[in-house]
Amino acid sequence: MRIADKMAYEQVKTNIGKNRTQMSELQNQAATQKRVTKPSDDPLASSRVLSNRIDLQGNNQFAKSLNYAKSFIEFSDQSLGELTEVISRAKELAISQSNDGSSNEESRRVVATEIEQLYNQMVSIGNRKLGDRFIFGGFHTQNAPFDPKGNYNGDGGEMMIHIDKESFLPMNVPGGRVFHGLGLNENGMTMPTPPQAKSIEELQQSLAVSQRGPASMQTGAPTESAAGPGASPAPQPEPPVVSGGVNLFGVMKEFETALRTNDKEGVQAVLDQLDSALSQVVLTRSQVGSRATSLDNFLQTIEKQKVENKSTISSLEDADVFATVSDINKTEATLQATLESSGKLIQPSLMQFLR
Amino acid sequence: MSKIWSMMDVGRRSLSNSQTALQTTAHNIANKSTEGYSRQRVDFVTNEPIGTGKTRIGMGARAGEVSRTNNPFLEKQIEREGQQLGYMNSRSDILGRVEQVYNEQVNEGLNHSMGRFFNSFRELSNNPESLASRSAVKESAEGLAKDFQAVNTQLDAIQKDADFRIQTKVHEINQLSQEIAGLNEKISSVELTGASANDERDRRDVLLKQLGDKVNIRYAESPSGQLTITAGNTAVLVSGFSYREIATGSTPGREMQADKTQGRGLASTETGDTVTKREGNLDVFYKSTEYSTPVNITQQLKGGEIGGLLQVRDEVINKFTNDMDQLAYSLATEVNATHAQGYDRYGQNGNVFFDLPDQVAGASAKLSLNQDLAGDVGRIAAAAEPGAAGDNRVANILSRLEYSQTMSDGTATFNDFYASLVGKIGIETQRANSAQQAQGDTVAQLKNIRESISGVSLDEETTKMIEFQKSFDAAARLVRTADEMMDTVLNLKRL
Repeated sequence: MRIADKMAYEQVKTNIGKNRTQMSELQNQAATQKRVTKPSDDPLASSRVLSNRIDLQGNNQFAKSLNYAKSFIEFSDQSLGELTEVISRAKELAISQSNDGSSNEESRRVVATEIEQLYNQMVSIGNRKLGDRFIFGGFHTQNAPFDPKGNYNGDGGEMMIHIDKESFLPMNVPGGRVFHGLGLNENGMTMPTPPQAKSIEELQQSLAVSQRGPASMQTGAPTESAAGPGASPAPQPEPPVVSGGVNLFGVMKEFETALRTNDKEGVQAVLDQLDSALSQVVLTRSQVGSRATSLDNFLQTIEKQKVENKSTISSLEDADVFATVSDINKTEATLQATLESSGKLIQPSLMQFLR
Repeated sequence: MSKIWSMMDVGRRSLSNSQTALQTTAHNIANKSTEGYSRQRVDFVTNEPIGTGKTRIGMGARAGEVSRTNNPFLEKQIEREGQQLGYMNSRSDILGRVEQVYNEQVNEGLNHSMGRFFNSFRELSNNPESLASRSAVKESAEGLAKDFQAVNTQLDAIQKDADFRIQTKVHEINQLSQEIAGLNEKISSVELTGASANDERDRRDVLLKQLGDKVNIRYAESPSGQLTITAGNTAVLVSGFSYREIATGSTPGREMQADKTQGRGLASTETGDTVTKREGNLDVFYKSTEYSTPVNITQQLKGGEIGGLLQVRDEVINKFTNDMDQLAYSLATEVNATHAQGYDRYGQNGNVFFDLPDQVAGASAKLSLNQDLAGDVGRIAAAAEPGAAGDNRVANILSRLEYSQTMSDGTATFNDFYASLVGKIGIETQRANSAQQAQGDTVAQLKNIRESISGVSLDEETTKMIEFQKSFDAAARLVRTADEMMDTVLNLKRL
C-alpha cells in the first residue's frame, strides 16, 4: 500500500486520540467511582437505578412513618395499661365491698370517693394527648373525646398509616371501642379493621355502605364496617352493629351509685361487669400489642429493603475499582506504545538522508 | 550541422520539461496538507521523430498534460458515507443534550421530586392536623410542577437550538452552492481548451463533500464537466453556472423570530404539511425560480447534519414531550379525581389539586398547584368525610397512588413510566453514539484509501525531485556538448 504523508499523520492523530479518550474515560471512572454517569452509558442499569432510588426514597418515608406510628402505639399501650390498673383497682374495691364482712356503709362511702377519683382518672386517660392529638378520639383528634359525663365525642375512625407499598396499619384505637365497647361483636371481640381503600371509588363505596347502615358515626359505629376490598356491588347483609362491650364509665357510675346507696347486690352486679370491662380493655391492649409487634417486623423488613436498594444501586452504577485500575494500566501501556511508534512512523524522511 | 542544432533544441526542450516537472513537484509539496488535494503528474510524450528512409531520429519529449491521480468513484463513496456521518454526528450530538435533561445519575430531577411528592402525602397522612405537613405537601407539589416545567423548557430549548443550527447550515449550504456554481463555470472554461482543471476539480470535490455532510444531495456531471446538484428530491441547488438559495422560514402561529433576510415572504405559503413539527419551529423552503412560490422541502431533507437535526427535533424530542405531557396529565388527573372527593380542613370538598389544561398537549408546561391551595394549605383535602381533623383516608389513597398502575393502559406506575422514558433516551443515545462511531471509522477508512491513492508522499516527491534535477543536469550537459561541437565545426578552417 502506498503511504502518503497525510495518511501517516492522520493515523497517528486518530490513534493517540483514541487512547487518550479511553484514558480520560477510565480516569473519570476512577475519580467518580461511577460506571454510569449518564443514561446512555448503560440504559438498562440507569433505568433500574431510578426504580431503586424511588423505592429507597419511599422506604425511607415508610421507616419514618413506622417510627411515628410506633410512638403513637406505644403511648396508646401505656395509656391502656394505666386503664387496666384503674379497672383492676375498681375490681379489688368491688370485691372488698361486695360482702358485709369486710365492708359497711361507712367504708362504702369512703370507697365511693375513690371510685369517683378513678372515674376522673379514666376520663383523663380517655383524653390523653400525644403532641396535640387526642389519641382516643378516632378521627376527631382536635377536641377531647370524653366529657366529664363519659360521653364519647369521637368516632370509630382508625387512622391507617402507609407502611409498605401495599400495606396499611391502623395506629390508633378509637376510644369508643375501649371505653364504651362500641363496635365489638356480641362476644365482646373486636371486629377486624376494614382495609384501607385503595382508590377513591372503593372509599366512596364503603362510605355509602356505612351511611346506609343502622348506626351513624356519631354513635360510634365503625364507618367502614361492611366494605371489604373486593366489596361486590350487590348489597351485602349488614352485620348488626352491636355493642357487645361494656361502657366503662357507665359501670363505674353504677358502682359509685351502688356504693353511695349502700346497695350490696348492686356492687355484686357491678363486679361481673367490671370483669368483662377488664377483659375488654385487655383485649384491646393485646390488639395494640400485636400491632406493635407487626410494626417492628415491618420496620425490620423496610430496613432490610433499604440496604438491598442501596446495594442494588451500587452494583448497577458503581465502577469496579480493581477492573478500572487494571484497565488504566493497560491503556497507559498502549498509549506509550502508540506514542513511541508514532515517532518512528513520522520522523524518518528521505530528506534526512540527502545532504 | 542540422543535427547539432536539433540536438541543442532537444536539450533545450528537455531543460524546459524538467522544469515543468520540478514545478509540479513543488506544487505537490506545497499542497501536501491541502484538504482534498490530489497529487499531480506531468505526462511526458515523445515528440514526432524526423528523418527520411531508415533513419528516423527521435526529437526528444514534450510535456503532454498535467493530470491528477484521483478515483472519482471513491470520492463519490466518501461523499455518500460522509452524508451518513453528518446525519449521525448531529443526531448523537443533540441526543446527548436531550439525555442530559433526563440524567439523574448526577443530580436530582423529576424522579426524585415525584418521590418527594408522594412522600409528602404519607407525612400528611401521619399527621393531617399539622400545618407543617400540609405545607410540605404544598412545597413538594410546587417542586414537582416546577420540575415538569423544567423538563419541558429544556426540551424546548434544545429544539430552538436545533432551529438555530439548521439556520446556520442553510446559510452554509447557500455559500457552498454559490462557490460550486462558480467552479462549474471555471472548469468548463478551462477544459474547453483541452487541459484538465485539476485544482478546480479538487476544490469542487471538497465542497461537494462539505455539502453532502450538511444535507442529503444527489448529483450528476454533464459531459462538459458541470455538476447539477439536487438537495432532497426536488430542490435543485446548482445547475450549470447558476445556483438557487434555500431559506428557512416558519409556519404560521409561531412565536420564534423569523430570520429577516432569509425568511421574508416565505412563511404564509405553506399548507397541509404533515410533519409532526411543533408550531414555531423552522421549515426549509426552496424557490425554483426567482418569482415562483417557495416550496416547503423540510420533509425531503432526511440526510446530512440537517436531516439529523430535523429527525431529533421533530420525531425524538416531540415524542418525549408528548410522553412528559402524558405523565403530567395522568398524574394531575388522578390526583385531582381523588382530591376532589376529599374534604379539607374546613369541611369543604371538591377542590382540585392541580390546575392543568383540558387536553394532554402542553400539560407538562402548564401544570401548577391550584392557586387556592397554594394560598391556604388548609384547603388540601386529607379527609374522606367532613368534620374530623384526624381523618387521613384520602391522604392515604393519594399516598398509595404512587404504586397504582395508572400509566400505559394500567400496566405501569408513574415511576415505571418515567424510568422507562429514561431507559428509552439512554438506548436511543447509546445507539446513536455507537452508530456515529462506526460510521466515523468507515469514513476515516475511506479517506485513508483516498489518501493512499491521491495523497502526497514527501519521499516520493523528493525522489522525483532528484530524478528531474538529474534530467535537468543531463539536458544542460547536452546543450553544452552541442555548443562544443558547434565550436569544433566553426574552428575547422583555422587548422
